[in-house]
Amino acid sequence: MRARIRLGDQAAFSQLFDEYAKAVYNHAFRLTANWPEAEDVVALTFLEAWRLRGRIDAEGGSLRPWLLGIATNVARNTRRAARRHDDALARMPRGGSVPDFADEVVGRVDDAERLSAIKQAYGRLRKQEQDVFALCVWAGLDYAEAAEALGVPVGTVRSRLSRARKKLAGSGELPATTRQVTGDRGPAKEEIR
Amino acid sequence: MNIPAERDLPEGRHRLLKEFVMTEIAKRPRTRMSRFTLLVPAGALAAAAVVAAPLLLGNPAYAVDRASDGLIDITINEAKDPFKLQADLQALGAKVVVSYVPSGKKCGPEPRATRFLSNEEAPLSVFPPPESHDAAFVIDPKVIKEGQTGVLEFSVSDDEQVAGIWARVAEGPVADCRLVDTTDAPLSH
Repeated sequence: MRARIRLGDQAAFSQLFDEYAKAVYNHAFRLTANWPEAEDVVALTFLEAWRLRGRIDAEGGSLRPWLLGIATNVARNTRRAARRHDDALARMPRGGSVPDFADEVVGRVDDAERLSAIKQAYGRLRKQEQDVFALCVWAGLDYAEAAEALGVPVGTVRSRLSRARKKLAGSGELPATTRQVTGDRGPAKEEIR
Repeated sequence: MNIPAERDLPEGRHRLLKEFVMTEIAKRPRTRMSRFTLLVPAGALAAAAVVAAPLLLGNPAYAVDRASDGLIDITINEAKDPFKLQADLQALGAKVVVSYVPSGKKCGPEPRATRFLSNEEAPLSVFPPPESHDAAFVIDPKVIKEGQTGVLEFSVSDDEQVAGIWARVAEGPVADCRLVDTTDAPLSH
């Protein structure tokens, strides 16, 4: 899959979209607290992924961390990404063309309100801590995957997540049953590069 | 912290967005010629050392740029003259060897060095690159230590566009890349 996409294989890219659009969509929503905006992030993320496909390493596993890393940047800087794909966005199909279903709409409004409340606490984190928290705790990436997504060392992910958890716990926003991040129980000492 | 459950894209939106994305990428040329204008962010211009290799007409075949953070951006518009690219990268302080590998070929003999460091030991190719770096490929020459050489292999598609990079740091001498036939995926090792 990596090699095919890197060489510009559109069929492989189509498969990539099918596999990861949902993951990108939900990650984008957690960052934006806005479902329609999350749809824009999905489109921009995949346009960016195509533009950046040459950077995909020949070796490696799932491309999900890479896509979520791009989505994080796009959500953080939607305007910049939008400028890059300005013409394309003008052609992007808008949500109004698809019929809404009442229950679905209500659910989405509930989600947005719920996440909006969470984001009040989350918003007190530094931007870099938010990104790590969103990727590790919400999207379920392990430390190495989050490091790949953000282009930072694993040790940095670990320390940012630790700080984020302390701050959220201090504000009473972190549940007692905080999800275990894969790789959370790493060695006490870790080489930080 | 009550996180909303994961949701699918709304009914029909997955298909519409996918059609939109696939239509847009089909329209885009595979060349990255126009990206040369993005190579040097205005703020970094003064600190950057930029080298561009001209083609007879139009845009440069490639451009390399060492930014103030020490990373080197590489943009390749046309897969020509790897030795000049190699010389220009070395002039920017990166002790590397460069090869272009057409589809259906690979560098032989393998291995080209007695030992290649893993990506974790020496992340020569910076992926994903910092936001300030907009080039197709970004390398970090600082990871190449005394007695080591960076090995950059770029896969080249049939229309002479560079599609991907394989970058590792080798210990000891590195054999020249002699292209041999392969049925493996591009840049497989």
